[in-house]
Amino acid sequence: MATVTKTSAARAVDASKIYGSGDAEVRALDSINVEFAAGMFTAIMGRSGSGKSTLLHVLAGLDTVTSGEVFIGDIELSTLKDKDLTLVRRDRLGFVFQSFNLIPTLNALENMTLPLSLGGRKPDPAWQDEVVKAVGLGDRLRHRPNELSGGQQQRVAVARALLSKPEIVFADEPTGNLDSRSSSEVLSFMRAAVDNFDQTIIMVTHDAGAAAFADRVVFLADGSIEDELLNPTAATVLDRMKQLGG
Amino acid sequence: MWRVTLKGLLGHKLRFMLTGLAVLLGVAFMGGTLVLTDTIQVIVDDLFVSVNDGTDASVRSNEVVDSPFGKERNRISADLLPQVRAVRGVAKAEGEMQFYAQVVGSKGDAIGHPGHGAPSFGFIWHPGRLNAYRFVAGNSPSGAGELVIDRGTAKKGKLHVGSKVKVLSQSAPADFKVVGIVTFGQADAPLGTSVSFFTSDEAQRLNGAVGQYDEISVSAVDGVSQEQLVRRIDRALVDPKVEVITGATLTKENQDEFTQQLSFFSTALLAFALISLFVGSFIIFNTFSIIVAQRTREIGLMRAIGASRSQIVKSVIAEATLVGILASAVGLGVGILLATGLKALLAGFGIDIPAGATQVLPRTIIVCLGLGTLVTIAASVLPSRKASRVTPMQALRSTGSDRMKQLGRRSTIGIVITGAGVGSLLYGLFGNVGDPTLFVGIGALFVFLGVAALGPIIARPVSRVLAAPLPKLKGMVGVLARENAVRNPRRTASTAAALMIGVSLVGFITIFAASIKNSISTSVDSAFTSDFVVAAKGGGPPGLSGFSPALAAEIKAVPGVGASSGLRFAGAELEGKGVFIIASDPEMSMQLFDVNPERGDFKQLGINDIAVSADRMKTEGWRLGQRISAKFPKGVSTLKITAVFGMGQQAGLSDYFVSLDAYNSHYTQQLDNQVYAKVADGANPRVVAQDIKKVLKQYPNAELLDQEQFKATRSEQIDQILNLIYALLALAVVIALIGIANTLGLSIVERTNELGLLRAVGMTRRQLRSVIRWESVIIALLGTALGLVIAVFFGWALVTALRDQGLSSFVAPIDRLVVIVVLAGFAGVVAAILPARRAARLNVLDAISQE
Repeated sequence: MATVTKTSAARAVDASKIYGSGDAEVRALDSINVEFAAGMFTAIMGRSGSGKSTLLHVLAGLDTVTSGEVFIGDIELSTLKDKDLTLVRRDRLGFVFQSFNLIPTLNALENMTLPLSLGGRKPDPAWQDEVVKAVGLGDRLRHRPNELSGGQQQRVAVARALLSKPEIVFADEPTGNLDSRSSSEVLSFMRAAVDNFDQTIIMVTHDAGAAAFADRVVFLADGSIEDELLNPTAATVLDRMKQLGG
Repeated sequence: MWRVTLKGLLGHKLRFMLTGLAVLLGVAFMGGTLVLTDTIQVIVDDLFVSVNDGTDASVRSNEVVDSPFGKERNRISADLLPQVRAVRGVAKAEGEMQFYAQVVGSKGDAIGHPGHGAPSFGFIWHPGRLNAYRFVAGNSPSGAGELVIDRGTAKKGKLHVGSKVKVLSQSAPADFKVVGIVTFGQADAPLGTSVSFFTSDEAQRLNGAVGQYDEISVSAVDGVSQEQLVRRIDRALVDPKVEVITGATLTKENQDEFTQQLSFFSTALLAFALISLFVGSFIIFNTFSIIVAQRTREIGLMRAIGASRSQIVKSVIAEATLVGILASAVGLGVGILLATGLKALLAGFGIDIPAGATQVLPRTIIVCLGLGTLVTIAASVLPSRKASRVTPMQALRSTGSDRMKQLGRRSTIGIVITGAGVGSLLYGLFGNVGDPTLFVGIGALFVFLGVAALGPIIARPVSRVLAAPLPKLKGMVGVLARENAVRNPRRTASTAAALMIGVSLVGFITIFAASIKNSISTSVDSAFTSDFVVAAKGGGPPGLSGFSPALAAEIKAVPGVGASSGLRFAGAELEGKGVFIIASDPEMSMQLFDVNPERGDFKQLGINDIAVSADRMKTEGWRLGQRISAKFPKGVSTLKITAVFGMGQQAGLSDYFVSLDAYNSHYTQQLDNQVYAKVADGANPRVVAQDIKKVLKQYPNAELLDQEQFKATRSEQIDQILNLIYALLALAVVIALIGIANTLGLSIVERTNELGLLRAVGMTRRQLRSVIRWESVIIALLGTALGLVIAVFFGWALVTALRDQGLSSFVAPIDRLVVIVVLAGFAGVVAAILPARRAARLNVLDAISQE
């Protein structure tokens, strides 16, 4: 099992995200300090409004912090312009969203290679074979998303995130729209990526069962870290959530 | 429901404006045309009233020939004048002449542009009631060598009272002294014409018409009505070839003649306005279809909470009606402004329309508002029906873009409509119908509608072919652009169809013009064996301008000129049919043109002989030696077919040929339209050309051209018309581009999630703009490809149909068509600017989190 002593893949330093002002002010992130180790599968949990999605978005360069700093490796994101942020996302990060993960006009394989081809790169063939095999789509690689099941679609999304060998894969409720069997397929696939390929994954979820696939669970409340748990199981996560008044 | 409709409109102002713009532009074009022509009509009607002011009766010949060149009337004897003056109740009677006379300005330039502008006329000057002109300097001409000119001519030629000027007319160029300068009311001269006035004797002498007038204007004493006056004069005159009409009738005739010319102009403009509206209707159809598809959920919800099908239909139609009325009203306003602008433009071309109130007739308002609104409503009927088919269940499902159904039925309908269009068009062109316009017009309309109906079926394969190089060129961006372009073939097709119409017309006219030019070039090459042509600068309509026969005589006398003759174009009625004939020296013509005489004796054509082309002989079923009836301005006569020649109209000349002697005895005005010359064996062509140019110094309205230059001037004239038509079609193309922008804009709204995802996984703004730009280019090229296929068909059909009239070859000018394709591609890029910018500005986070 991985440990926290590994090098940091991403971190937020005194990061705040404030929406609105005056009475309407909402602190989605409140001077948060958090670090995510490389080669580790981290789950971020919290009630809705806890700031867990915002944290993922600012870490992933999809949103900017109001104050503080956010790092991907050594790169400080808040200083980057849109163009450079885009290139960071394209070349160094992978994404899996809750829904609408795939471009409907591209087939499964094209969707997987999308970030690479946007950068004008070709996937490493051996790596591609490995990922394709792991995604377990078999002969459906040339099918379009609407011909795939929800679970298959999410696995394709995970494969896309892995294929560019990103420093970190960000997953935002990747199983939110799936039944339990499909969820388990997708999460096992992610788990395997961490175990077999040393992939770093940061996943937002509200599902204790999903969080149990992670190495570490970070609990957020009111925009700051409330607690964390290493080597979680569904039971320990649920237990901790109860303690925290979830 | 109304409130929902209104909210829908106000909620999407930009979309509302773009949709409206498609109608607005067409209506503005139509309104502008109607207002402009109505305004000109009123002004010119008034003009003829003042020109004929004081004329209570007009005496003229009843011998008139109606031909493709218009009406030409015989002259009357000057002896009639004293007889008319002697009639009781006649206050004043004056002999009138109207003829070609062009003043040469102080810089040696001929004033006026009889070829393509206001003509130059000479008149007899007589003071008093029968004259609408007033002196601003000097006074009446009193003898030989004196003339009065209008103020505009004086200004342009830098002339004043006392100036010596040369005058070009049927007689050899001669010097005159300006003794007076006049104005026509507030204007220099009517409609920017250049006019000059001579004494009666001078006018008759210049036209070789001593003892003759064109007509006699009469004014009545007080208390005698125009009808009474006409009756009295009619009784007094015994000549059966003379008719008397009232001043009111004359004015009416003048006005009607002008109305006819104007209606040609306005019909042409209205046709282009209708094309623009038609293209606009595609945009409206498309916009409403997309809106309905996007609102499926909303409509389903309304159905679920109890809205009936007809309420849904009504709400869509209501939205269209509102768009239609508002856009038409604004369009009408723009049109009125446009008319004022167009008028100023005409003035810039030297057609000086006197000031007059802008005429916005109730008819204009009704037609513009009515048609604009109707077109909008008609275009929204199908989308509204589609909206009504949305079931309440669909409120629950996610919005899907409309799917393709009933492909088989669609292709059947499309093929039937296209087939009917092609059939109607070909029947109109080849079916020997009296007026093919209707069949051709309806045929073209059906072809457009049919191909548009087939569009969704052909859009996918054709777009794939067109976009095939894109993935290679642009990588993933190219793949996405291609897939986006074909993902909704119905939408892509109807967007492209709008452009297809504009492009097909542009392409068609390009092909048609190239075929004409090629035919002219071929016929000049094959038919003209002469070395030089002397032609009017800028061309010129027969009758209104030309050269004195003295010019041909002088050229013939130039040393080194072997054969030479003037050539005249004329109208006549043969066996009751108005035809185009040419007149020249028969013997010379055999050296100047490849006449290709087949039977009879071409050289010996006399006053009452005619040569007919072999083609025409066959179609008319005439025999050599047969006598046919002919009507000329100087009366009816019988002509004998004495020769048959090969080079007919098919070869670019004319099917009928008469000698200059025949022309002299059958026509009043004697002007050469062109003079041909061939260099004698052994003479140096360059020296001969120099010598001919010396002769032309006296004729500043003429220019010397060799065969190549002659072809070039003809090409230039066709290019001028071509450019004008391009300009008129530009609006239809612009509307189609607005349509592309509109569709892309709506698609972007629909694809927000997807675009957000692309941005999230690393697509740069530049790449995103590129995707949308290339999608736009594919749509534009699809429209262009379909348009060009139709263009080639239209062009081929018309050229083939006109083969008899000298269109010998069908030419599809590849270079120009390639330019059209390239321009269409660029147009696609331009249409994508705003949608692409909008897409690139999407906030990534908002986009991916949007439901």
